[in-house]
Amino acid sequence: MSAGGCDGAADRRADVSAEEGRAGSSLPAVELPRKRKGDMEERLSVDCKMEDDLSRSEEEDQQVKIRCFREPHRQIEKRRRDKMNNLIDELSAMIPACQPMAQKPDKLTVLRKAVQHLKALKVGTSSAFADSTNKPSILPQDDLRQLLLRQAADGFMLVVSCDRAKILFISESVSKILNFSLLELTGQSLFDFIHPKDINKVKEQLSSWEYPQEHIIDAATGVQVQTDAPVRPTHLSSGAWRSFFCRMKHSRVAGKLEEKHLLPCTAKKKDTSRYCTLHCTGYMRSCPSSQLNSEGDAEKETTSLSCLVMLCRPLPHGSPQPPKHINAKPSAFVTRCAIDGKFTFVEQQATTVIGYLPQEVLGTSCYEYFHQDDLHHLAEKHRQVLRSKEKIETQCYKFKTKYGSYVSLQSQWFSFTNPWTKEVEFIVSSNRVMSRGPGHMRDEEAGRLKAMQEETKQIPIIPSLSNGVGTMIYAGSIGTQIANELIDSYSRVNSSPSSGASSPFGSTNEKCPLVSPPISTSASSGGGAASSSSQSDSRTAAGASSATADSSGEVSQLDLDGMVVPALSSFSSDEAAMAVIMSLLETEVNVGQSGDYEDLHWPF
Amino acid sequence: MTADKEKRRAISREAARRRRRVESEVFEDLSRLLPLQQSVRDHLDKPSVIRLTLSYIRMHTLLTGKTGTKAEASHKVKCGQVTDGQMVRHEFNGGCGEEEEKERYDADASKETNMYLRILEGFMMVLSTEGDMIYLSDNVSKYMGLTQAELMGHNIFEFSHPCDHEELRNNLRVTAEEVWSGGKRDFVMRIKSALTHRGRSANLKSATWKVLHCQGRSKVCVAPSSVSCLLLTCQPLPLSHTLLSTQTFTSQHSMDMRFTYCDQRMTLLLGYSTEELLGRSIYDLCHTRDTNCLTKNHFNLCFKSQSVSGRYRMLVRGGGYVWVESHSAVIPNARSSKSRPSANQPLCILCVTYVLSGVEEPSLQLSLDQTVHI
Repeated sequence: MSAGGCDGAADRRADVSAEEGRAGSSLPAVELPRKRKGDMEERLSVDCKMEDDLSRSEEEDQQVKIRCFREPHRQIEKRRRDKMNNLIDELSAMIPACQPMAQKPDKLTVLRKAVQHLKALKVGTSSAFADSTNKPSILPQDDLRQLLLRQAADGFMLVVSCDRAKILFISESVSKILNFSLLELTGQSLFDFIHPKDINKVKEQLSSWEYPQEHIIDAATGVQVQTDAPVRPTHLSSGAWRSFFCRMKHSRVAGKLEEKHLLPCTAKKKDTSRYCTLHCTGYMRSCPSSQLNSEGDAEKETTSLSCLVMLCRPLPHGSPQPPKHINAKPSAFVTRCAIDGKFTFVEQQATTVIGYLPQEVLGTSCYEYFHQDDLHHLAEKHRQVLRSKEKIETQCYKFKTKYGSYVSLQSQWFSFTNPWTKEVEFIVSSNRVMSRGPGHMRDEEAGRLKAMQEETKQIPIIPSLSNGVGTMIYAGSIGTQIANELIDSYSRVNSSPSSGASSPFGSTNEKCPLVSPPISTSASSGGGAASSSSQSDSRTAAGASSATADSSGEVSQLDLDGMVVPALSSFSSDEAAMAVIMSLLETEVNVGQSGDYEDLHWPF
Repeated sequence: MTADKEKRRAISREAARRRRRVESEVFEDLSRLLPLQQSVRDHLDKPSVIRLTLSYIRMHTLLTGKTGTKAEASHKVKCGQVTDGQMVRHEFNGGCGEEEEKERYDADASKETNMYLRILEGFMMVLSTEGDMIYLSDNVSKYMGLTQAELMGHNIFEFSHPCDHEELRNNLRVTAEEVWSGGKRDFVMRIKSALTHRGRSANLKSATWKVLHCQGRSKVCVAPSSVSCLLLTCQPLPLSHTLLSTQTFTSQHSMDMRFTYCDQRMTLLLGYSTEELLGRSIYDLCHTRDTNCLTKNHFNLCFKSQSVSGRYRMLVRGGGYVWVESHSAVIPNARSSKSRPSANQPLCILCVTYVLSGVEEPSLQLSLDQTVHI
């Protein structure tokens, strides 16, 4: 077997071997460059038509190129030969008979061994691969079914009658998924196994042709299409597609460890059944009902029954898992803040740590709870996380609980950047309690901290404030200011303002249906950024309109106004004044230029 | 050139021809052993014959490479079937040996399989860890425009979008833990489709990209030889014939996932009014722990134009949350477009969201939006 060398040489060797009856041996590859060249040219001119070594699809290719391009043709030849050799190598690796050979077998030998191997395989299998229609298939049908259903689709097939949801057929693979045997399921009503709250949904899917209107989406426009004409069953019975989710009971009797892997079930207290969420997709079909209604519904003998033929698959394991499974420790919780540090999401576990209920802290700035000693370092981390794609670890810091004491936390912060606009929209914080021991810590900590507080009652240094005018009340504005810095940087990058609707979409020119997001960060205008941030910043959406009204180029000052104005309404008046002053100090460059402050709602 | 040399050349030419004939015969033998339709067999070139042989052998290894044997898989089956309106029960014990019954069993299996493939609305693919498409179900031609025989044995990387290669590679890797538990796979990839919009097969050179949702698991066979592969079902993601039920709603978003529209059902199911939602980001409405899931979904939409989100939690107005799953696609923004679609037509995201559960933890208010009173 030639090692990627001259095919001619290999053939010659094989020929010699065959003639001498030594099918197994092979001579070492001999490089005969000069001869190869001559040989090839000869072969090309004389035998190209009979050259059936070449794959047919490339034959035309080769013939066209013969006359004109000798050099590239050699490369094409070589590539083809290499491909063939690779295939032969792969084949010999798969054939047991070729394994123990001392030297690599040649092509013909490998092929012959392959023939023998296939024959042996066929002898092993009991049936031919042909199915009843004599259509041969690469895989035996039963194996295909097993592979498909049990392994790939990991689901089961279900046929239910549409009138009473009787289970007409269910495939064997259901036992692995729901832990019921076929005996327990076949012939039963499907509704006995569906979660009570999903029964109506399933009913609708089974009988929806009775309703005059169908809710179908036209994918081209995204608009719901409503057909007013009543739809007759026969019209739908061939090929009407259904796709829905429902929860089905699964039995604990066969309870193996597999249960843990089955996806989130709502274990209700009253009903001890556990449910598994399934995605059911399939078609409506009409089946002749002669034997199906053997329970004695004589009237239905001759009418054709409609049934739904579905493939049911449990939902795959995704990253979302119920809270119970992640961070079972009560001392860890997740929060989400807007870019200025205001809480927008707080997990319930937080209450055991910080004492507040989520609704008590939502909307307030995290800085209000930070101990003054930690303000500086946390502000720095805040700045850092807004600019970084990495997770930022804070040091240990103190968080003020509802009771006035402090709890020691350590957090991991991560800023979320919108994949489309590439702007930071919020920060996710994964917080854990740092305590050396259970329970006692808090009191000890609290006591110590109290002592610390009393002895070091100093005015916190709020970054960028020239004199120590601020007190703890202004802590909240730190976050705002840091957020403003970010907004500034966005608006500085975007030199041209444009409405949010057009710029992110402007740069798409990929071939349909692909969409490429804008490459630069100037995807969205400063106005857009301001509006998005101000929305996340404050509760009122009123600020958005004022922000987008800005359209001039040197907008940083006006943007801040857009930012600040809505924010003002949520601050106390002193805080508000402070914030405005701070922002003005920050951007004193623009103070002289755009002197229009009439839109500002000065609180004093 | 001497007569001697001439003669030698003639001999070598003759030998070459003979060699090629012998080789062709062996190729013929090989292709005849492959279970293929004659029409397919006639059009196979030599590399294809080897490719298909490889697939055959690999699949065989895969199927027999269990702790039990193939017999275990094939015979230990009890099934109830509806065939021609009759309830038929087959029960096979090992070694039943009746040829007729076996044939009928196979026929039923084949019907069942065909039905599965049809309701699956997709095809099946078995991938080696190097990405070779060891096996494809024969309906692959309906989705890719190329037949099973043309594709089997080729490498998926030749047919998938280069930007998806890394994700593919990650999915192909089978980790040690997965050997025994069968790691699940769920991802979206773009694949070349030689189908024209009319459903005809065109040349691969003019192929377009088709988005496929691939789900399945990894499988490792330990004996006789160690083979690991991925078993996947591949489905295109159609939104066009989705029958919306009461627990499903649609919404439209700008490309940054801010709401631009949602239908009434969302208000019924989640409590938010349309006005409240316009301009809000979907990320604000969902449980923070699901941020990754949503981000991945968003990425898929931006780069591949279609996505299935997997399960995540949407917060309900007033408290608690529901588990949902969204199927989304990027579509031209029909509302603001003019009559003719242009290259710079604004795009938007259309989501069909299925509510999977009831409201959980209804008393919990976790986010700002839930507490806001307008």
